[in-house]
Amino acid sequence: MKNLNLRYIVFLFFLGTFLIPGLCQKLEAQNSDKIKIRIKANYTKVIGESSFVDITTSARIDRKTTSIPNINLNVFSENADDELELGETTTNHDGKSRFIIKDLSKLLKDSLGFYTLNFKFKGNDVYSKVSNDVTFKDADIEAKSFTKDSINYVSATIKDVFLDSLLAEKLLNVSVKRLFKSLPIGKEFNYTDENGTILVPVEKGIPGIDGNLIVEVILSDSDDYGTVKALVNTPFGKPVVLDNTFDKRTLWSSRDKTPIFILIFANLLIFTIWGIFIYLIINLFKIKKS
Amino acid sequence: MDAHKTIIRDLKPKKFGKRDTIWTISLIVIIIAGFVAYIDQLIKGQEVTNMRDYALWGIYISNFVFFVATSFVGSVTVAILRLTNNNWRTPIVRIAEIISLAAIIMAGITIMIDMARPDRLLNLFIHARLQSPITWDVVIIPTYIVISLLLLYFPLLPDFAILKNHFKKTKPKLSKFYGKLALNWTGSKAQKLLQEKSIKIIAIMIIPVGILLQTIDAWLFSTTYRIGWDSSNLAPYFISGAFVAGVGALVTLIYIIRKAKKLEEYITDYHFDKLGKFLALACIIYLYFNINEYVMPLFTAKEGELTHLDALFTGSYSIAFWLVSIVGLILPIIVLLFKKGRKPKVMFYVGLAVVIGSWWKRFIIVTPTLLHPFLPIQGVPKSWHHYFPSLHEWLITFATLAMAFLIITICVRYLPVIPIQRTIDELEASKTNNKNT
Repeated sequence: MKNLNLRYIVFLFFLGTFLIPGLCQKLEAQNSDKIKIRIKANYTKVIGESSFVDITTSARIDRKTTSIPNINLNVFSENADDELELGETTTNHDGKSRFIIKDLSKLLKDSLGFYTLNFKFKGNDVYSKVSNDVTFKDADIEAKSFTKDSINYVSATIKDVFLDSLLAEKLLNVSVKRLFKSLPIGKEFNYTDENGTILVPVEKGIPGIDGNLIVEVILSDSDDYGTVKALVNTPFGKPVVLDNTFDKRTLWSSRDKTPIFILIFANLLIFTIWGIFIYLIINLFKIKKS
Repeated sequence: MDAHKTIIRDLKPKKFGKRDTIWTISLIVIIIAGFVAYIDQLIKGQEVTNMRDYALWGIYISNFVFFVATSFVGSVTVAILRLTNNNWRTPIVRIAEIISLAAIIMAGITIMIDMARPDRLLNLFIHARLQSPITWDVVIIPTYIVISLLLLYFPLLPDFAILKNHFKKTKPKLSKFYGKLALNWTGSKAQKLLQEKSIKIIAIMIIPVGILLQTIDAWLFSTTYRIGWDSSNLAPYFISGAFVAGVGALVTLIYIIRKAKKLEEYITDYHFDKLGKFLALACIIYLYFNINEYVMPLFTAKEGELTHLDALFTGSYSIAFWLVSIVGLILPIIVLLFKKGRKPKVMFYVGLAVVIGSWWKRFIIVTPTLLHPFLPIQGVPKSWHHYFPSLHEWLITFATLAMAFLIITICVRYLPVIPIQRTIDELEASKTNNKNT
């Protein structure tokens, strides 16, 4: 009986030796098989319009970076002591989402004036849980246009809102907003002076609808301030004269816009000739009756 | 009165002989073959043709332009000779009128054959843009058919009355048929006045309408802005070409009809001599426009024009181009300049060369231009760079030509090909003149 128990224990030991590591491996594998998502967040502020964070979710699948759609992210405002849930956002089919910050003043900030937004993904059967944050300070760009000595200028001043100080040596990009890609104007690099200001001449002759040009002044991807963009509407453009004959009566227009002279001339010819035909056919009847 | 009877007996429509019957059956067989090919084209679509994205106009449009050109004979011979009081026109005008009518009817049918979806023909009217030469073409072709029909019909009225009386005893049914067509013609002063007035109006009107027809046909090409077509010379070039094609066809058919109906007494060497001079004049004018059409682009030497001219002068269309230019145009001019060259038999061959040359001329006007597009398509099959009509296209084209011949044959069978009344009137007038002198 003792021998039987011993054999039974040895059998269970060996069975356990083979099965338990296998089961553990399977459980471990289930965890390690989950795909790890990367969350990328970029803060942008458009002066006078809105502040938002553009989020993209992606992952390395088959050695390729692939956008991950339908990822639900919880958004928190954080500082060293506290955490405030702002809401949630879900990425679209391109793995992109835009979280609009309704009121910056309601966000938590640290003693240096930095805001931190944390984006958390809880994880699911396919993707492991992950979070990432973006930290930024609030900056303002004040842009205006003016003309001096017949030269048109756009000037812009950038300041740190929390410190209420002007920011020197900041690179601002100035361009005219176009339908596709903006048209850079001024020098290649426009650094702010000690007053946090740049001055950029706007060359004449740039076409704009009704002569209006929208000039963009942009602080791009700053470590502290993110992207800050100011738009200024200027009357410095050359009015676009649309040479559009779409609504006019032309030789190449649609049938309802036939030029009047063609309508008159063609119809005159047609009705005259066919009128004479009718007259000739009447003559045939007259011949028959006479 | 015996002379009158002889004229009526000679010029009245005669029953088909064995040769005529074989000829007509042959035409019907060709038409049936073409009809079968056309039905197949309708079912399978224009895939059965060799027209592709490059040569989107092919033999059908060439054939259409040829028919339009040939129909011009009604304007140039009948109207011009009538208005200029050229009395030698009498035995040839009716044949010219018949050719004109047959050609313009077939032009209208041919353009419909070129349409992949003839069921959408009505759309040409419903959605017509009056700015488009295609719309003008849609208007001008029925107009020219009607005017050609009127030009043929009005002078026939007295002849129908003569035939009605002539066949009264021998063929009462035929007499009744001619009687209906004669519209109670008695030759009264009022009837003559109305007829003469109407013919004069038609003769005046058919000249501008004919010129309009040829011009619109030319503008169909020149408004497309393509090399070889984009020319302000194109409309007069087409008009002069139509002059050649029309008179060439007239000369050829007159010779055949004269021989078949034994009309040597009525259509004499004198008429051929006159027609020969007329054709020579047409060919010389056309040669002048040809020189304009080809030499100017050669001098200005634009890249696209040179490519086009290379294809014509030395390239894949050079044989057709030189044959058309030399055999179809230059050689006829040389032959026709000599009196012996204006004899009936020689004239027949000259006319034949001119007509065949005119047909191929349309082919080399239409096709080479299409094979050199402004924006060459990437990766097209090699075969698209060349165009030669498929069997379907040939069968259908021959059928349209056979249909034109059939219309002419039927007209020749039932209508007097030489105006009977006018021939009698001219005989009377010459007798009176002889008496006076």
